[in-house]
This record gives sequence, structure tokens and C-alpha cells, in this order.
Amino acid sequence: MSKIRVTAAVFCLALAATTALAAGAHPGKESIEKSGYKGPETCEECHPGSAKGFLDTVHWKHASKVTNVDGLNPKEEYGMKNRIYVMCNGNDIVNNLKEIPKSPVTGKSKFSGCNTCHPGNHLSDVGSTGAAAEAAVDCLVCHSTDYDFRQRKPFKNEKGEVVMGQDRSVKAALAIGKPTVKNCMVCHEAAGGGVIVKRGFTFTRETDAHAAKGLVCVDCHKAKNHKMPTGHDPNNWANDGVFVSCADTSCHGVKPHKDADLNRHCAKIACQTCHIPRTGGAFAKDFTVWEQTPDKFYEPTTLKKEANETAPVYAWYNGTVKNTPHFIGPKGSKKDGKSKITPFKIFQGKAYYNKQTGELLSMDFAQPMSDGDTRAGVLSAAKTLGLKNPEKIAKEAVPGWQTIYFGSNHLVTKTKALYCANCHAPNGVLNFKDLGYTDKEILKLTSPELFMEKLAKKQKEDW
Amino acid sequence: MKKAVSVMVLVAVAALTIFCFGSVASAGEEIKMVGVITKIDIAGKDAKTATATLKDNKTEQLVVITVEDDLTLDKFKDHRIVEGDEIRCKYEVIDGKNVSKLFRKTAGC
Repeated sequence: MSKIRVTAAVFCLALAATTALAAGAHPGKESIEKSGYKGPETCEECHPGSAKGFLDTVHWKHASKVTNVDGLNPKEEYGMKNRIYVMCNGNDIVNNLKEIPKSPVTGKSKFSGCNTCHPGNHLSDVGSTGAAAEAAVDCLVCHSTDYDFRQRKPFKNEKGEVVMGQDRSVKAALAIGKPTVKNCMVCHEAAGGGVIVKRGFTFTRETDAHAAKGLVCVDCHKAKNHKMPTGHDPNNWANDGVFVSCADTSCHGVKPHKDADLNRHCAKIACQTCHIPRTGGAFAKDFTVWEQTPDKFYEPTTLKKEANETAPVYAWYNGTVKNTPHFIGPKGSKKDGKSKITPFKIFQGKAYYNKQTGELLSMDFAQPMSDGDTRAGVLSAAKTLGLKNPEKIAKEAVPGWQTIYFGSNHLVTKTKALYCANCHAPNGVLNFKDLGYTDKEILKLTSPELFMEKLAKKQKEDW
Repeated sequence: MKKAVSVMVLVAVAALTIFCFGSVASAGEEIKMVGVITKIDIAGKDAKTATATLKDNKTEQLVVITVEDDLTLDKFKDHRIVEGDEIRCKYEVIDGKNVSKLFRKTAGC
């Protein structure tokens, strides 16, 4: 009898779950309404092991082993946890979330830190493990469409520790599901110091062909066990070991065009080259001189453009990365058999270098944000990292520039994609000389002979 | 007579100059400003429009901006944008209202 009851109960639960899924709703709402939402513990009732698994992802660790970048220790993990480069110049370690010194003008302070976006509660922070860390995961910030962001603010607890608040309300928990564009953009939109600054794109119907089709971020960045596939951006080092590919058979395949000539290009030309002809965002930043903002705090001086307002640079890229104190960018060549011509968003940043070693130094933003004293930021970071003679290093630090090639992987267009004459012309977007072609090859590559017949036919069809 | 004509021509040129290059906002002209939100008025979760009052950093004048785009409305509704946030805004004067064309927080991480 009891066996029949159990079977019936399981059947009913399965039926309820199937019905909820069919209706587009996330199952389990009745349970949440009845028992309340207690954080990951509630999610784990249906998704056992998720919280522990999440602690082993880049979203939690902000780092991973990196195998394609010059000069890194293959046994160490790298990412925004510990990297030093000129888009951010700080990192989770030196620029840990904290209350900055009071502004000498207003006497006011505020909370600031690179790990503000970390989906924990700051007590369990970047890379933490164990039961407390599992319980601290903010599942809803990524999975709820009704999250109240007034709750997700840093505050000091009774012990004086800085805690990141979370919305763990039943209301937010009842709106769970697959992450929407909004969920991702909560953090990714304003990375690097403001909206569009770092990546230089918006993901809207107007700016991206995938968004126009109704796709959301996780349709391409399709996570499995919270391991998030990413592209091969020369400046996005940490990864979960899984990668996005346009040529995935469930997406565009290896022969995505009806035209065989275009498909032939896929061997040497990255999809992005033709389908992402524009980029945007910050193109220069100065961490040695901070500007005072109307609230009398300071921010690094930043020059930026809107999405679609700048032209990319093109280079051969084989997936490996040159990494020096003054350059981070693609490696590859016309001849290596692995590289493709790929577009990049170019960015140049000015920061302090170690006079003795020539290495790029990092900065704790607390002091410069308060009073603009950038060398004090270098001193604090040098102390945190345990560098020898930090006072000397900060005093003698030398300003210098680093150039970074960011991947340009969004702002996808079909209607405005580059076509034959956009590249194969003397005034085309590709600089064939810089790409390693001989004068004889360039003469051939920039002649209308290549496409005259095809484009004449197309022109007749279009009109 | 000649003097009168000259004066009239000068007045006409001056009027034309003011008309062409004057700083007074007119319909269709995009105006840029950076300011801090002092007030947000939005009527519920399903609202299709909202107003935000910004204090212009340069002039310290209060400017009421009408917001109609879904992305920004959503940020008002879930409080990703709240009073006290500094905003970079572009707007156009349409039928007497300052209608937002771009409304973004200046801050980031």
C-alpha cells in the first residue's frame, strides 16, 4: 500500500514539475511559498550539489588555470582575483571591498572594491570554500527576475566586517528561472568603471542580431553545472574550460553561408571579422591622474565611445596570447596554419610601473578615490602584495602605457556584415600589409577582379 | 534710408544667428547632461513611463526627465537605479517633455 502511495506521490510531483515547465514557470513555487526561501539550502532541495559545484567556477573563484598566455605559471590560477593590467589596475586582492577613507572635502565615505560583483556575501568571498561559502551563494541575483537591488548593498555588521547584502525574499525566489540578459548585465554591463566601458557593447535588439532573434546570453554561453562557456578573448584569461563556438552544430555549423565563396573564407577569417564590423567602449584610461567627480570623490580619467562608434583592429590570432608589461594581445601569423584574421577592440591604459623591474604595478583604489592620491594607492597595493620596500616602489613608480587587445565578440550583425568590397579594395578595412601579405598578393587581394562578376549580379538582384 | 536698411539687415542677421546657434533647446535637438537623481516617480510594476528629476552638475538646475525605454524602466523597478545615483543623460524636448534618449549610471566597478 505504502509503495503505491510513494509511487503516486512521485508521479504527482513529476506531473506538477512537467506542467510547470510546460507553462514556462519554474517548478517548486508552492514549496517556496509554504516554507519560505532560505538561500541555496532551498535550491538544493531540487538541485543537490549545485552550491558546492558553483564554488568551483570562475564566477565564484574569479580565476582559473590559464594555458594560452605567455609568462604564466601553469600551476597557478589567474583572473580578476589577482591580475594586474590597465583596464582595471586593481584586483580583488589589492582592491578588496571596503569603506574608503573619508573625502577631505565632504567628510563622506563609501564602499568600493573590485569584488563588489562577486556572488557571495563578502564574508565568504572570492575563492572561498566550505559550508559557509555554499550557504553564502547568491543564487537569486543570477536566477531571479524580481530581485530587489536595494538589498544588494555593502554594509558593516556588528563586528565591523563588510558584508554584501542579498535579496532572499520569497518574492524574489518565486521569480526564478534561466538567467535573463538583465541578470547577466547586472554585473557585466558596468564592468571596468561604467556602462559599456570594458566590453564596449550593449546586447539589445537594436545592436545585436542574436538579441534581435530573442536569444539571451546563456543561449550561447550555455552553462553546464554552472561552468560557463566563453570566447577566446586575449584579455579574458580565466575560464571554466568550456568555450563558445559559432560553428557549433546546434548554431551555425562549419558552413554557415549559402555562398561557397563565403564559406571558403571561414578557414582564414573569424566570423567576427565580417559580422562584427564595429566596436565601442573605453579606448583610453589614465590611472595616474584621477578626475574629481561632482560628489567630490575621484575616478580614473577615462575616454570612451558608444557601442558601434569605433572601428576594430584586425590581427592574426591563433588563440594564444602575448603578455608583457606594455602589451596584451593576440599571437598568430598568416603562415602558422591555425590563425584567423580576427577583430579586436583596442584599449590603452596608463598606470605606474616598478622602476627597478619594469613590471606593471597594481593599485588599491581606496585612497585615490578619496583624495586623488594615486601613489598612495600603489603603496597600499604593494604592501598588500608583500613587495619589498613598498614606500620606495611607490615613490619611484614610473607612469607608462599598456596596450590591450580585447576580443570583439558581440554587436553581431547580418545586414551590415562586411562584404567583398569592404575588404578587397585599396581602401578596405583590412591592412593587408600589416597582416603579412606581399605587395604582389595585396595587388591581387585588392582588385575588383575578385568580385566584379558576383557583385554585379547581386547589384542587379538588389535593384 | 540707407542707415535704416543697414540696421534692419543687422537685426535680421542677429536674429538668424540666435535662431541657428542659440542654446535654447528646441524640439528634436538632443541635449546632454550629467546629474544626480533627486526623485524617481514610477507608477507600479507595469508602468510604461516614469519621470526622474536630475540635478544638473553644471547648472545645479533641476531637470525632469521622462523615461520610456524598457531597459531603464526595469532598472527603476528593481532599484538598480535609485535616488542619489549619478546619471549621464541625453534627452530631446518633445511636446514640452524632456524625453530620455540615453539614461545611464556613470558609476561602475
